[in-house]
Amino acid sequence: MVKMSSDYKARVIIGVIGDDIHVVGNRIMQLALEESGFQVFNLRTRVRPEEFCQAALEVNADAVFVSSLNGEGEYWCADFRRLFREAGLGHVILYVGGNIVVGNRPTDEVIKLFEQFGFDRVYHQVTDISVAIADLQEDLKHGAAQHAGAARGD
Amino acid sequence: MALPSTQARLGEIDRYRAQVLTHPLARGISPEEVRDHLAQVPRQRFPRVAYANRGADPCIQPRGGFPLFEAQQQLTQQLSAAGADFIPLTIDSYTRQNQYDTATQLLHRSEEEGKNYLNGYPLISHGYELTRQLYCDLEKPVSLRHGTPDARLLAEVAIASGIAEIEGGAICYCLPYSEGFPIDRCLLYWQYVDRICAVNSTEGAPIHRESFGPLTATLVPPAIVVAVEIIEALLAAEQGVTSFAVSFGQTGSMIQDIATATVLRELTRYYLDEFRFESVQTYLVYHQWMGQFPVQRERAAALIACSAAISSIISADKIVVKTIDEAFGVPRPEINAEACDSVRYVLRTFRSAKAVTSPMIEHETALIRSEAESILEAVFNLPGSAFWESIYRAFQTGLLDVPFSPHADNANKLLSVRDGNGSVRIANAANVPISSEDARLERELLESREDRADKTYRQMLNDIRLMV
Repeated sequence: MVKMSSDYKARVIIGVIGDDIHVVGNRIMQLALEESGFQVFNLRTRVRPEEFCQAALEVNADAVFVSSLNGEGEYWCADFRRLFREAGLGHVILYVGGNIVVGNRPTDEVIKLFEQFGFDRVYHQVTDISVAIADLQEDLKHGAAQHAGAARGD
Repeated sequence: MALPSTQARLGEIDRYRAQVLTHPLARGISPEEVRDHLAQVPRQRFPRVAYANRGADPCIQPRGGFPLFEAQQQLTQQLSAAGADFIPLTIDSYTRQNQYDTATQLLHRSEEEGKNYLNGYPLISHGYELTRQLYCDLEKPVSLRHGTPDARLLAEVAIASGIAEIEGGAICYCLPYSEGFPIDRCLLYWQYVDRICAVNSTEGAPIHRESFGPLTATLVPPAIVVAVEIIEALLAAEQGVTSFAVSFGQTGSMIQDIATATVLRELTRYYLDEFRFESVQTYLVYHQWMGQFPVQRERAAALIACSAAISSIISADKIVVKTIDEAFGVPRPEINAEACDSVRYVLRTFRSAKAVTSPMIEHETALIRSEAESILEAVFNLPGSAFWESIYRAFQTGLLDVPFSPHADNANKLLSVRDGNGSVRIANAANVPISSEDARLERELLESREDRADKTYRQMLNDIRLMV
């Protein structure tokens, strides 16, 4: 697989979903991923699920990292994995993070919900980006989508 | 290359105004009637008069806007009684996005249910006749606070309501507030706003304009702020505005605050004179910390007191105040009134000796001045048949780059972090045209930072949470 060569930079798509224009975290994430050796395609703010999917197809992405700060995530993410599978992108690693639901809800409940949506990893109100970056480096070693999304299959 | 000039002044403004005023929500505003109304408005309602009478301390201005007329009326009275020198009228975000129908629907719902479904006063939905009633007995200026890329109708309704201070500008109300509003269109729409401020001005009672210097309030280097503020002052002067305030937000470093104030004041005057706008009177406005606030109210109070003292040191003409509830959302009127009182207490108790200086401040002042001049000269030298075109190109080419702007046409390449003193430094200027010597100085100053070896994004996260 071409992607395994040592100087290959994994391609990650990032963006803030829905009508959210919280841009600060998005910009910091771009820097953090770049500084950690990823090639970042930043769709920035107010991104629709279809746009994530289209971008993943265009750049042959290894992973997509969806952010939501205002809690719109729950509304927009429900069909995320299905959309990717239908585009032949079932192998793409899907992460989601931020303040992904509206209101105060138990974190494990939120994680379970988004895993059901097909996300491989869920970071609800986790402020340290380096956790997700370490996970992503690990997940990419094992090839794409060893996690929930692929395990559930089509 | 096209330098700032009166040749850019909008022609046929009467015809243009007639088009804008056909909007049903203009409710038949007549320019002649507005002129007559403004002639009867007390002179103290004009910022130039308020500034001339301000005495030793900066004027105090809170923020605030509620959807219901009665709530806004009460807020106005409470803030005035608490000693606010300028009364705010903060506009809701639907009106800012020109979604007047939604604003009107949510106003009705707020009226029916007695709950606030809007985060500000929907001025266009209320209209100018009702809004005049808000200020019947008021002898202080009212300041329109919004964030509107296309503020043509909003400014018309505000002026018709007797509001003599219009905040904003083509850059400061677009780059930090909008993701996709075309910058060139915004520049043209703000020409309209500036022009109607000018045509509604009279000798001694000009409609005053104020720019919003904090921009994204997130690690914006002072040189960028100074350049943007001066550009907006020049754009307003082109259209005939004669009373203009430049502003900036507390940087987080006292050294940098003092230096920024000095450069901003000096260069604004210098460039206005340079382009033959000697008649424009300028003022300096200081915004208390615009970044993330501490949740502990004691700390918030300490921060508010400290920045009040800084506003006195820099001899600001006005300070825009925050409240101890900043971390929690829109403050209650009592909390807002308390903030005015606290700031007044600091201002009158700790009157500064003014001229505060030190070798570090002088060094910082020289650096910001040199950088701001380089940026402005580069913008002036861009091709274009009018000054606004050069500004538009400056964003396309990244000569102007506002950190953390959500706007799709902002370069987002400049990297800034704080040095050991908390001053904002340019770690990587990208296409922003500062000299290589200044870039070297910026990097050198960064060495004073303790966690310099850490990753940039970690440093930035710490910097953004500076006051938390």
